[in-house]
Amino acid sequence: MGAGIDIGPVPRSSIPINPAFQWSVGNWMDYFYDGLKEGKIRGSKCPECGKVSLPPRMVCQHCFAKCEDWVELPETGTVESFTMAHVKVGANGELEDLPQPEIIVMVKHDGADTCVAARLEGQNASVGMKVKAVIDPEAENFVNMLAGYRPAE
Amino acid sequence: MEREVAIIAYAQTPYEADANASREMQVLQVAKAALEAVGLKQEDRYTVITANNDYLDGRTISNMRLVEPAAAWHKNESKVEMDGAYAAIYGLMRILSGDHDVALIIGESQASVYARWIPGIMMFDPTFDRQRWLLNEVSAAALQARAYMNAFGVSEEQIAGVAAKNLDNASRNPLAFNKLAGASSEKVLSSRKLYEPITELMVAPYCDGACALVLAAGEMAKKAEKPVWIKGVGFAHDSYLTERPLEEMTSLKMAAEKAYAMAGIKDPVSQVDLAEVHENFAHEELMGYEALGFCGRGEGGAFFDSGATKRDGKLPVNASGGAIGANVVCATGLARIIEAAIQIRGEAGERQIPGVKTAVATGQTGPCAQESVVFVLGGE
Repeated sequence: MGAGIDIGPVPRSSIPINPAFQWSVGNWMDYFYDGLKEGKIRGSKCPECGKVSLPPRMVCQHCFAKCEDWVELPETGTVESFTMAHVKVGANGELEDLPQPEIIVMVKHDGADTCVAARLEGQNASVGMKVKAVIDPEAENFVNMLAGYRPAE
Repeated sequence: MEREVAIIAYAQTPYEADANASREMQVLQVAKAALEAVGLKQEDRYTVITANNDYLDGRTISNMRLVEPAAAWHKNESKVEMDGAYAAIYGLMRILSGDHDVALIIGESQASVYARWIPGIMMFDPTFDRQRWLLNEVSAAALQARAYMNAFGVSEEQIAGVAAKNLDNASRNPLAFNKLAGASSEKVLSSRKLYEPITELMVAPYCDGACALVLAAGEMAKKAEKPVWIKGVGFAHDSYLTERPLEEMTSLKMAAEKAYAMAGIKDPVSQVDLAEVHENFAHEELMGYEALGFCGRGEGGAFFDSGATKRDGKLPVNASGGAIGANVVCATGLARIIEAAIQIRGEAGERQIPGVKTAVATGQTGPCAQESVVFVLGGE
């Protein structure tokens, strides 16, 4: 939270706390983001059980094994769950109304064993719906290169 | 268990959206009340475990300056950065080790001083989800609710019904602040739409407050008035929310199985008289019925419809109003344990359920109940 942001009734003085952190996303996520720059969706694969994680994971939770294998996944996937969002978390931490509702989906890519949470284009969603990834290698913020999904049909 | 351990005292502040008190004063209030209830003084030997969170309290080592009000100076003091139900387990373990006979457990929340939903966003994957600002506690819960509804045909009305029950129950609890006598599922469904199917009245609202309990074994437990015995405990940790099936509460189920095995609970519906279930969102209580074995898999909605979990049902759940009545982040699960103990001791006033001998209480931490704790408590 920044100085001057209204955080409700604080009896006396309030002190802004602005810790700044800079993370390295690490080798696995770097490789994932580098793939998206070329339009490729890369998941990590456990060498023991063969489970595929997207976004990639370094260690398989099932096998206690380092996931050093990679697979390129198709753009297609299935909606596992969804929500129509009427709000978002604003800069002051409160839920503020969106000008227009938007859909957030949990998508399991074909060939993956884990889900990606992202926006779905349009105003309709259902569990089991087939969707296709929207990749934007030019995204202003690299974390949004896997920009979202659109209905596959 | 190797040693019989009892809850011998408890204390709670009123839970308020914005208390006119610091966290230090709230902790002092409950620590003093709990210790004095059983005649303990700071010079006596006991261990202290607090539950609080660096990010929520805006400082590294959030228990800094809680040592004094927790009467923990020069003591074997520690904290858990999780729900207070974990602090109770930590304290229990110290007693079971034989190192201490008495543990003071404290949880506290000062939600009024931070930007409400932002710390929760910091729970998500920092290299992906956190930066994308789509997942927060409410949107994640909505994704879980939809997955649950879709898997088992649970309706929005059933979820809203849970919220209405807890809001109404909270109206009998003088310590709760989110209360609505006679609340209906229609009222809940017509409240502000947040992330469908979740509406504002289905959310357990953050608040300020603190609570404490005293655990004891040996002589202290034997001479205590109305001890509430810990019959079983269990805790379990599940995967990150995008890496597990969301339609069931696996960590709660695993924790319950361990606690029931320890307590000799084979048929919870006939052996348990009351449950306090930590529900951050209304649908979590329905999922909790299943995980706690009150009904079969996918039958949470039908179990609710049977009326079993209402005040006059065969297994009342959240007679206190639950977390929906007051979500004291880092103390909510601890407050469930305290409420269960209060019911067993028959000290619940207007919210008392008659004849409670065995009760279950749960706590959770992390998005979509990633980690869960279960306590089984029993009277004399």
